[in-house]
Amino acid sequence: MSVAVASGGGFGRWADRRFKYLLILPAVLILLLVGVFPFINILIVSFQDISLIFEDRSFHGLLNYKRLFTEARLWQAILHTVIFTLVALPLELVFGLLMALLFLEPIRGRQVFLALLIIPTVISPIVAGATWRLMFDNQFGPINQILGWAAGEPVPIIWIVQKGFVWPAILIAEIWQWTPFMFLLLLAALSNVDKSQVEAAQIDGASNLRIFFRIVLPAIKPVLAIVLLIRALDLFRLFDVVWALTQGGPGTRTETLSTYAYVQGFQQFETSYTSAIAFVVVVLLSIVVVLALRRVEIAR
Amino acid sequence: MKKTALFTALGSATALLLAASAPAGAQSAADRAVEAAKQFAGTTLNITWEAGLQANDPLNFSGPRWEELTGIKINVVEVPINELFTKTLAEHRASTGAFDLLNVVPAWIPDLAEAGALEPLDDFIDKHGYREELADIAPVYRDNQMAYRGTIYGLPDDGDVLIMYYRKDLFGDAAHQAAFKGQFGYDLAPPDTWAQFKDITQYFTENRPHDGFYGSAMIRSPGLIHYYFEERFRVEGGEFFDAETMKATINSDIGVGVVEGWIAEHEFMPPGAEAWGPIEVLNAWLAGDLAIMGWWPPPGRWSAGYGDFEILSFVPESKVAGKVGYALPPGGAPQLAAGFSLAVSSDSKNKEAAYLFAQWLNSREVSLERVQLPFALRDPFRTSHFESPEYQNLWPDAKDYLATLQAGAETGLLDLSIRNTFAYEESLTRAITAAFGGDDAKEALDRAAEEWDRITDRVGVEEQKRAYGDWIAKPNAYPN
Repeated sequence: MSVAVASGGGFGRWADRRFKYLLILPAVLILLLVGVFPFINILIVSFQDISLIFEDRSFHGLLNYKRLFTEARLWQAILHTVIFTLVALPLELVFGLLMALLFLEPIRGRQVFLALLIIPTVISPIVAGATWRLMFDNQFGPINQILGWAAGEPVPIIWIVQKGFVWPAILIAEIWQWTPFMFLLLLAALSNVDKSQVEAAQIDGASNLRIFFRIVLPAIKPVLAIVLLIRALDLFRLFDVVWALTQGGPGTRTETLSTYAYVQGFQQFETSYTSAIAFVVVVLLSIVVVLALRRVEIAR
Repeated sequence: MKKTALFTALGSATALLLAASAPAGAQSAADRAVEAAKQFAGTTLNITWEAGLQANDPLNFSGPRWEELTGIKINVVEVPINELFTKTLAEHRASTGAFDLLNVVPAWIPDLAEAGALEPLDDFIDKHGYREELADIAPVYRDNQMAYRGTIYGLPDDGDVLIMYYRKDLFGDAAHQAAFKGQFGYDLAPPDTWAQFKDITQYFTENRPHDGFYGSAMIRSPGLIHYYFEERFRVEGGEFFDAETMKATINSDIGVGVVEGWIAEHEFMPPGAEAWGPIEVLNAWLAGDLAIMGWWPPPGRWSAGYGDFEILSFVPESKVAGKVGYALPPGGAPQLAAGFSLAVSSDSKNKEAAYLFAQWLNSREVSLERVQLPFALRDPFRTSHFESPEYQNLWPDAKDYLATLQAGAETGLLDLSIRNTFAYEESLTRAITAAFGGDDAKEALDRAAEEWDRITDRVGVEEQKRAYGDWIAKPNAYPN
């Protein structure tokens, strides 16, 4: 029995019809406040000219968007981000999948290993970056010590300065932190693969590789797609580890889109220009996410 | 500068009159600040302070004492030095009123004043009779780090200057002196030129007294390295801009020579020294592993091993007490390198209370106590600090130390301070670190010069030309 019927009034009937909307109204308002309003504000600011020196809120057309196309440093940062994503994502996937396959079998102390393996993922990325900075310290860090023992002589690598070592250092830290995330979700997906199908294929004499590609992979594909999407988005926003390790240096050698935007927005105070960067990135990533989700839907 | 000096002179007379009319028992500027501040008892002042050792002063010394004297609580908001400017400006832009008293690096004052983030202090200074005591602040700080276009925005509160520390036991050793002269043809002494500096670092690296000992190490980390460039570049004759066109000239042969010189010197420094920050250099120095190094004034105190070292337990105990000599860096014109001025936030709801705390902190007697705190980083900045018998007797060589700081305060070079200084520094830092990472120094500096030109265009060439003109008109902008 609804309130409207009980009260019998006109307002009651109106409230009854719209009760469901009233229930979700607070959530919608909060979403608008924390999601849509900043987005609209970024869009507005990107058409103004606000910086450390100027605070001109009049309409400046495409001034900041034109600048996007002429800043070589921005495009270099985007290139770094894309290449890093293309390298780190498959590595995290392969390591995560191999670990998940390993943990599918009964192992003694499995729960303990699982708990230890997820520790990197629960650490704040900036703390992880700072820790790795200490690990890579050329004087006191254990990495050079271990390499030195293996080489039989001191290893003089300066990980956060030397050209050939800065990206590997970031890659190692990033893989260390986020492979467990990939591993956990893939382990959950692999655990749900229909065992009877696998057993039937084994009885029919199918090789492990064939079973994996024909039965297991199709079964985990939706989860795999979501995991890859989440990590790809995370990698595209890569900031903390880079900032803690190299601050984008030496020079701009390890600058990513996020560190570049941070420098422009919060060190150089190019507020409108940074808003233009943020707007373009949000739009581009939204398109990528929508397309990716559509593919996942089709795959299902 | 002249205008400020004139104001100071005029203000001194005012201050004398005000002091004469001040209530009995409130004769010093510190006392006057305390008396006036009592009306704000119960207030809490939010103050920004550099995170780390610097903040030990308001946290453990001045903050509690001020609360005891006035009933005003001090809430210290610790901010890393490289985020202080950003945070200060961001809070102002958002009109949060989150801070009452600000620690600002003097080079930022033009940008912060133009942005309206700082409250002019002249009226407060006159009202509370502080001009007389401002005259005691060493001229290089008082005349250059206090006012912007004739208005006082900050009370210079930290005598930052990059001096050299050397092992006088090794430099004075007869065997080393003879060997050095034999190898290089001149007497072993604190270097007058950077070429001599390199000879000394080479000599002590090749003739190390013990394993792990190197000729030198200098701060090379991002965020600080630009200070060392600014110093050496100017000492060797470089100028930042063509004053007529405002085109950047940091990529001149002199600029390239500075960066290439550093890279060459790394050969005689500990492995990885090109990434060393202040703590690494300090560690090696206090452990007795360096012959010479450059730093701000605090290692002079820490090397002597005086005071309570509990808070400093993360650095090794000094093994060089009594073995340290002090000198100005090659060229004799040290970079003043940051420093701090106390400023009042224009968004504060407690401006007068904030100012009074600043006056009390900065006053002759309270500041003398603060610059002697072994665990904090405030350095002598008043003539009365340099000449204080109490300070001169803190350790056997304290008089020499203070004399070196005073000499630095006379010839010290101002940090570049124009519009959007932070952006120029960031660009320069990237160029230097790129060269350390293996890029060609000339190409890296060429890129930085292009970026400097773009920053100048963005600010406006005429606007920046005027700001640069104001800056180079100061006597300590370039070596005399």
